[in-house]
Amino acid sequence: MVFSSLPFLFFYLMAVLTVYKLAPLKVRNLILLLVSLFFYGWGEPVYIFIMLLSIAVDYTHGRLVERWRENDALARRVVASSVLCNLAILFFFKYWDFIAGNINAFTGLSIPEFGLPLPIGISFYTFQTMSYTIDVYRRDAPVQKNAVAFGAYVTLFPQLIAGPIVQYKSVAEQLEGRREDLEKFASGIRRFTVGLAKKALLANAIGELWDASIAAQNLTVAGAWLGLTAYAFQLYFDFSGYSDMAVGLGRMLGFSFLENFDYPYISKSVVEFWKRWHISLTTWFREYVYYPLGGNRVSKAKWVRNILIVWVLTGIWHGAGWNFLLWGLYYAVWMLLERLFLGRYLEKLPSALRHVYTMLVVLVGWALFAVEGLDRLSMFLWTLFGGADAYAAVDGYHFRSYLPVLVILAVASTPAGKNLWGRLGERTRSVLTPLLVLASLVLCTASLVDASYNPFLYFRF
Amino acid sequence: MTKTSQRVTAAVFCLFLAGFGLLHIILPDRTFSPVENRNLRQMPEFTWSALADGSYTAALETYLSDQFPLRDGWMGLKTRYEYLLGKREFHGVYFCGDRLISKLEDDSRSEQNLACVRQLTEKTDIPVYLGLIPTAAEIWKDYLPEGADSFDQTAYLARAQETGAVWVDIAGALAERRDEAVFYRTDHHWTSLGAYCGYTALLEAMGETPAPLGTARRAADDFYGTLYSTSGVHWLQPDSIERYVSGEGVTVENVSSEETHGLYVDSFLAEKDKYASFLGGNMPLYIVRNENAAASKKLLVVRDSYSDSLAPFLSQTFSEIHLLDLRYYRTSAAQYAEENDMDMIFVCYSVENFIKDTDAAMLAQ
Repeated sequence: MVFSSLPFLFFYLMAVLTVYKLAPLKVRNLILLLVSLFFYGWGEPVYIFIMLLSIAVDYTHGRLVERWRENDALARRVVASSVLCNLAILFFFKYWDFIAGNINAFTGLSIPEFGLPLPIGISFYTFQTMSYTIDVYRRDAPVQKNAVAFGAYVTLFPQLIAGPIVQYKSVAEQLEGRREDLEKFASGIRRFTVGLAKKALLANAIGELWDASIAAQNLTVAGAWLGLTAYAFQLYFDFSGYSDMAVGLGRMLGFSFLENFDYPYISKSVVEFWKRWHISLTTWFREYVYYPLGGNRVSKAKWVRNILIVWVLTGIWHGAGWNFLLWGLYYAVWMLLERLFLGRYLEKLPSALRHVYTMLVVLVGWALFAVEGLDRLSMFLWTLFGGADAYAAVDGYHFRSYLPVLVILAVASTPAGKNLWGRLGERTRSVLTPLLVLASLVLCTASLVDASYNPFLYFRF
Repeated sequence: MTKTSQRVTAAVFCLFLAGFGLLHIILPDRTFSPVENRNLRQMPEFTWSALADGSYTAALETYLSDQFPLRDGWMGLKTRYEYLLGKREFHGVYFCGDRLISKLEDDSRSEQNLACVRQLTEKTDIPVYLGLIPTAAEIWKDYLPEGADSFDQTAYLARAQETGAVWVDIAGALAERRDEAVFYRTDHHWTSLGAYCGYTALLEAMGETPAPLGTARRAADDFYGTLYSTSGVHWLQPDSIERYVSGEGVTVENVSSEETHGLYVDSFLAEKDKYASFLGGNMPLYIVRNENAAASKKLLVVRDSYSDSLAPFLSQTFSEIHLLDLRYYRTSAAQYAEENDMDMIFVCYSVENFIKDTDAAMLAQ
């Protein structure tokens, strides 16, 4: 189930909230676990078993780490085993076919490929459960002895299928007891509605423009850039909208999740962009890969190696494809360049130019990210950098059709709206909030009922 | 935020979602949507296997969206606000001021179907005429939003003249009357006036004089066509349906149902698909007979639905017309013409249908 769908909004959410709020505090984790499993099973019921397996594996590993804490060598082996189990699940479902396919193509072998559909959210929940055992070992989080509470953490439906990647230590206390009150509930509603509108009204509206570009037979240079801009907006509003909805739902249920996005498109350097984009993922890689490798407190050569490792992993985390690997390497290179010398020159540039530079790097990055298949990718890049007609009449048509939407998206990518909201008086905000929530719900419903176009980009990661 | 505001926000949110959820359960399901002109999804049957492979929940989602309370109103609302945001294309239909025009995209079959016509001319000695009807996207090109993309039908029609069949210049005839209502504004079909252009083009290609147009009689003035349905643009004036040929003395035999009726089936005027009042809609084979026709000639029309409104005009000139729809009547057109002693074959399709037709191979089999 996705949040931006009729069954979720009009049936599932209301039913869950009713049961949850009526139930005594003691059983709320159990309710969360059950309704989350239902939520997960909606799309692919069979994969509930993988989910249960994942819970069982990490619950046990956590307990074992705790038990053998005095024997560090043994505890470390338990952690290694947990990491191995999680990576094995992830590897099998996400990467096996890709690797086998490539080996087969190169060597003429015929390693079997399974063609299994990717279990929804597997990249998210395997990372979460891995972080749990590691956190317990590092004493960053207490061990969870209650299997139900642990299961509720892993399956928690607000963040189950598209993040943010909630580290166990950030919600450990909330699992034991969380404050639920009207204020939090209302702010959760507000946040959820904002996210829903971002997804259903903005991301879907602009997504059609990207689809038109990628399908065009005679794509022009202007068309490619326009399409890529559309994709950049679609991805951001889709994904950050989903994160907003997750944070909002979390609040309605009494949880506080960390933020996942912080206006990435206002960044003035690539390094800054990655501090603002998909924060929970970059934090994860920093804490569980980059720092353990020594971070930047090592020789320059090792530091370069660390950066490369982290970004290659970030790339392929998004998908088993050469383009994702390239995309990761692309950012490794920019990170190194900026940190080594480009940063010094950038600082001297006017901030408008720094912003343009960052957006260009990011846009080209999205081309690597979005266009799968190396043939199609190189074709697209060739077009992007001038290997086609500059402009065609249809580009003008697309531009005019989407201009108002593009303007709205550009403004919505900045904190301008938030600042304006903050400057309104308390009274005005109190009156406006329910009205805006209602207006968004009405428009989103209209948009979802006519759901001919409602893709969800981060679903497959 | 004040406590009151928080309460109101929570109430608005919950009442809206729970309210429509409950309405959905209470309201009876519809089987057919007149506005969209399609059957609506019914409650799927539960089976464990359907649940396991995910098809049950997928069907349930379609069902919920199809049966959502006030569905037509929601769709209209979406189209309206998208329109306000500058959008002019809705589900492959361009909104062009007072009319809707369907966007045409090239299909991989466009060239191979021309080759099928060539094979037909090689296979039979009966004269073959080819007339392809350009859509409104070509004839009314200047109504399209500036720069809007559509398949280049003029170039395609130029290529279509090389098949060896006698070319019927329907595009030219339509272009002459392009300032008049040759297509419906809310439907993809040509109007009776447009069909008359097709008729004159055919007669000119045969070197004969067409019957005069005659006077129009209005059969319906509340016709909302397929483009109205697919686009979701629901604020246009309805079309009217005109008839120029009275149909006196003309019989139409529906071969598959073994029924015989007149040129028009008026019962369709009370339904959504009023265009089907010409002949009675898509059928595998109609035989139109007119004893008072100008000549005692037998014509085979291999056709799509555009010929429904063309048939009245043809019936004035040909004593017997066989209207064959290869999508439903799977036979070789060449063979059919030979067996039934046809004097000529008229392959008449809209460009829209012809470039994606999967049954054109039946022409010459």
